[in-house]
Amino acid sequence: MAIHTFGAIDVGSYELNLKIFEISRGKGIREVDDLVRRVDLGTDTYTHGKISSNHVREVTQILQEFHRIMDTYRVEAYQAYGTSAIREMTNAEIVLSQWEQKSGIHIDVLSNSEQRFLDYKSVAMRGEKFNKSIQDTCAIVDIGGSSIQISLFEKDKLAATQNMKLGVLRIREMLSHIDVRTGEYERLISDLVNSQMEVFRKLYLHNDRIHNIIIVDDYISALMQARHMDIIHHADFDSFAAESGSVSVTQLARKAGITEDAAGLLHISAVVMGCIADSLGAELIYAPGVTLADGIAYEYAEKKKIILPEHDFEEDIIACAKNISRRYMGSEERSRSIEDIALKIFDATKKAHGMGMRERFLLRMASILHDCGKYISMVNLATCSYDIIMSTEIIGLSHIEREIVANVVKFNHSDFVYYEEQEGTSDLTREAYLTIARLTAILRLSNGIDRTHQQKFSDLHVRTKDDKLLISVPSGIDVTLEKGMFRNRADFFEEVMGIRPVIRQGAVSRK
Amino acid sequence: MSESSKTGKINFRDPKYYENRELSWLRFDLRCLEQARRKENPLLERLNFLSITASNLDEFFMVRVASIQDMAKGGYTKRDIAGMTAEEQLDAILAGAHRFVDLQYSTLNHQIIPGLKEAGIQLVRKEDELTADEKAYLSKYFETEVYPVITPMAVDSSRPFPLILNKSLNLGALLRRRDNTGPGILNRTKKSKKTNAKEKEVLEFATVQVPSVLPRVIVLPSEGAQDPEQPSARVVLLEDVLRGNIGSLFQSYDVVCTAAFRIMRSADMDIDEDEAEDLLKEIEKSLKQRRHGYAIRLEVEDGMDPRLLDILQEELQLQSDEIFRIDGPLDLTFLSKVRKVPGFDRYKEHRYAEPQMVPELPDGCDLFAQIRKGDIFLHHPYETFQPVVDFVSLAASDPDVLAIKQTLYRVSGNSPIIAALARAADRGKQVTVLVELKARFDEENNIGWARMLEKAGCHVIYGLVGLKTHSKITLVVRREEDGIRRYVHLATGNYNDTTAKLYTDVGLMTCKEPFGEDATAVFNMLSGYSEPRSWNRLILAPLWLKDRFKYLIGREEQNALSGEPARIKAKMNSLCDQDIIEALYRASAAGVKIELIVRGICCLKTGIPGVSENITVRSIVGNFLEHSRIFWFENGGVPEIYAGSADWMPRNLDRRVEIVFPLEDPAVKAKAEHILDVELADTEQASILKPDGTYEKVDRRGKEKVNSQLQFCSEAVAAADKARNAVRETRLFVPEEHREES
Repeated sequence: MAIHTFGAIDVGSYELNLKIFEISRGKGIREVDDLVRRVDLGTDTYTHGKISSNHVREVTQILQEFHRIMDTYRVEAYQAYGTSAIREMTNAEIVLSQWEQKSGIHIDVLSNSEQRFLDYKSVAMRGEKFNKSIQDTCAIVDIGGSSIQISLFEKDKLAATQNMKLGVLRIREMLSHIDVRTGEYERLISDLVNSQMEVFRKLYLHNDRIHNIIIVDDYISALMQARHMDIIHHADFDSFAAESGSVSVTQLARKAGITEDAAGLLHISAVVMGCIADSLGAELIYAPGVTLADGIAYEYAEKKKIILPEHDFEEDIIACAKNISRRYMGSEERSRSIEDIALKIFDATKKAHGMGMRERFLLRMASILHDCGKYISMVNLATCSYDIIMSTEIIGLSHIEREIVANVVKFNHSDFVYYEEQEGTSDLTREAYLTIARLTAILRLSNGIDRTHQQKFSDLHVRTKDDKLLISVPSGIDVTLEKGMFRNRADFFEEVMGIRPVIRQGAVSRK
Repeated sequence: MSESSKTGKINFRDPKYYENRELSWLRFDLRCLEQARRKENPLLERLNFLSITASNLDEFFMVRVASIQDMAKGGYTKRDIAGMTAEEQLDAILAGAHRFVDLQYSTLNHQIIPGLKEAGIQLVRKEDELTADEKAYLSKYFETEVYPVITPMAVDSSRPFPLILNKSLNLGALLRRRDNTGPGILNRTKKSKKTNAKEKEVLEFATVQVPSVLPRVIVLPSEGAQDPEQPSARVVLLEDVLRGNIGSLFQSYDVVCTAAFRIMRSADMDIDEDEAEDLLKEIEKSLKQRRHGYAIRLEVEDGMDPRLLDILQEELQLQSDEIFRIDGPLDLTFLSKVRKVPGFDRYKEHRYAEPQMVPELPDGCDLFAQIRKGDIFLHHPYETFQPVVDFVSLAASDPDVLAIKQTLYRVSGNSPIIAALARAADRGKQVTVLVELKARFDEENNIGWARMLEKAGCHVIYGLVGLKTHSKITLVVRREEDGIRRYVHLATGNYNDTTAKLYTDVGLMTCKEPFGEDATAVFNMLSGYSEPRSWNRLILAPLWLKDRFKYLIGREEQNALSGEPARIKAKMNSLCDQDIIEALYRASAAGVKIELIVRGICCLKTGIPGVSENITVRSIVGNFLEHSRIFWFENGGVPEIYAGSADWMPRNLDRRVEIVFPLEDPAVKAKAEHILDVELADTEQASILKPDGTYEKVDRRGKEKVNSQLQFCSEAVAAADKARNAVRETRLFVPEEHREES
């Protein structure tokens, strides 16, 4: 049995976490070490936009220690991610390069949606308890230093996800400027949270209630785990939260066995969580006690095909995209038709474009969201679609992936802007841009085929022959409009793929 | 249960329910002294006990008395748990210490020295008792050995009073210049009224340190062949040799009088760890300062010339009750050297067997494989400490071992464990060692070890700021076929192969995952890498341990109140934490039966109606130093048992990093409980705490004679024999036919 030793590093807003894992087919993912060092990078970044030089030095030392520890365990691979504090730094590139230079550890920066997706994966790693929780209406409440992410589940699929700038460090920072009297603190936090939860309810819940809540955080979960009460009733959680507010921070720190600083944040987390649970009308609260590092390991194991995921995460992202499309009055049937045609073209032209399963997945996303901008403007469809996609959290997509999808949708409706013609506003690589071009070519073609929006081509057959892409449509269907609109889309397709698409009408060969 | 406790009106923190810890400590030393006075004990063991009482008292003065003096001098008015001010404590301690020292010397002079003489060992203290040959021998010895290493120092009004080193033995002398000139020491003293004007002019004070580099006990060469059946030895003390030759040190003077004296200084170190950039250097600095700590006790030979005493008292700024006039040789620790005079083994204790093989770990076994089979419980010194040494040593040479992590508090002079750690680092393993630099009186040793380990490539850490790391834990991280496995050793005693032969301690070797995870988190915490999120099994001070003990005691209280079985059996070195004692009082008042084995300080009072009538306390002082801490809770019929490095003292629970660990395997639990039960049945070495705070021997009437330490020895021998036989049987070649027959 091959055992892989893997190091997962989370450079978070309030602490750096290194977890060492052993990953194997037989035993799955096993945590063998867990190191947490508190460094309040969040307050620096959220206040000044930069990390103080003392903290830069401190993180360097910690990363050097982490490197040494990974050496001890003979770690074969590692992945280090920076989250919101790093994301919001104005000089991130400089600092990250300095850290890499001095510690040998390269840190990638996660977008919020990527980060939350990994957190979500780490929860899903818990298997049975997670699966049981999402059978009923369920929300994952992921409380970070900078923001909170609430992800809603319906019938065991992720339905929607929303970010709120109400992270514990951010709240602490906000309240530090206000002269808060004793007893007022909780009320102010509640006001902050409740105002945003009201909007959230209107957007996603209407009058529905959420039965189960899964908490992902660094404070409440750890304490609930330590007290062997990972699943508790809402009322018990309220007592738990009240307990954190009934004693001084010093007493709380002593009781919980944490530092006073962490005790302050635990109290904020408990108040925030209490408000969210009230607002959602939750009955059960589950704290799996997972961290981002668990998700990083899960992602690695999944990528390396060491473990097979029990839960279909791509289906979650698709379900989310469909909800977004629904919110912007997109036509579900047309999306399905375009997706179907696009995937047939993608699969038939694999040799020509050389793209993989992830790109196929992005094509599905683009197909589902292809007309979301119509909700705002029929005229500026391209720009509006792009803006909607770029400003909507799509959990599970990286920032680059989201930009690819948004561009594919945009260029589906507007002239393609070549890489060389860009005005330097995008940080897309040449390779990513090529993916945009290829996917745009496929989406445009699919959109052109279904031009009449009548979903006439369910029996469409696609194959390549010599330098042609033969698209066979059933006889007896009027394809005059499609043929007319086809030419310039076919030109672009040929330009990108080197294959000329041709529409042929006749009997569809069925194999 | 009394009415008042039922109604919850008793104030369990009332000072009248508590004993002062210092006076309780003096009672402990008294119990050690009783061993020296006990005629049933072999003579040389009695000698040893007397020596131990002396070193105990020294440490008590340097640490405890010094800190109470600091409080008294600083006007600290807060009362202790027994309601005493620092001033009141100091008076009581000094009065008690004087009585104690009188008893020590009465024991020496009336029991030990006559006993030695009868056994054939004669301590010669007067010059006229020496033969001519002996005088010649000692004269030569002085010239060749002593003279080169001594530095006599004369003091007069123009020369400052010299620094007399802490605990050093010195000879003080008054000298008169033969030409009758010179400034004279007595000019500088304020108490010179006692002396006449003429002497004021001429006497000078001189002092010479009895060299600590030479043996204090000198065995005189015997005349003729020794009869092995009736050996004899004549011994002299180094200070007497020096005294006999003191005239030769001061050529132009007459020696008016001489007497030995010894001072004790405060050994309290005050280190601001928060500000210290390099803790190691800071402690080194403080150690140097310790030599200059103020004097807190002066011991002088009884009959010291009052002028000499006046000078010392004034220069050292001591009160009269801080001066101890000693009727015999100062510093009785020399007795342990007399014990080593060859030829007198018959006067030693021989009933206690050498440390035995651990039954689960027969010679030549694969230690790691044995631990994988199940937890291994170690009971020292009845069982050998060698597996612990092997644990580190094997890990050092095992190519599959990735890392070794260990805490060190006190180690032996030539520690095989330290050598193994250095070897491991040399072989490229990650070796992390926490060396506690603040281990009292081992600071210098530990600084040396820390430097040596660092040089060998180990990652040496000095622990957490403001806390002493007293826990005993070793972690070996090993890569095995099925992944990383962590082997953990947890103990109640130090990683010291020498004291492991003298102290009773228990240890646990395990590779259970929850223990491994916790051990990893302990070292991450100690090295400052990480703060633990939660613990699986281990309970750590200062953050968690006291609350857990209070919870466990409280649970018994609740069980008793609801009519379930409720009982506590616990063994420790000292019990003086007020919160714990209060919890025990509450439990007792609720009906919990509490049986405590507390070797040393005990601030809890027994037999108070409604408060502690269900509590018994016994102290075992025996051949070995009782040192293990084991805690057993009935838990409504599902007993829980723990062991660890912590006593129920504020210093352990609030100011140190300590680890207490549960014993989980049924066999291991049974062994640990057996220790408690046998000690609770001890009739020979146990003393029972009476309600008035004094201790008395166990009333043996109607009881089976039990000497717990002897019983553990014989049990260890039997278990080792059984294990050896079992191994022999498995290795025995049995012919096929014979097997069939049988």
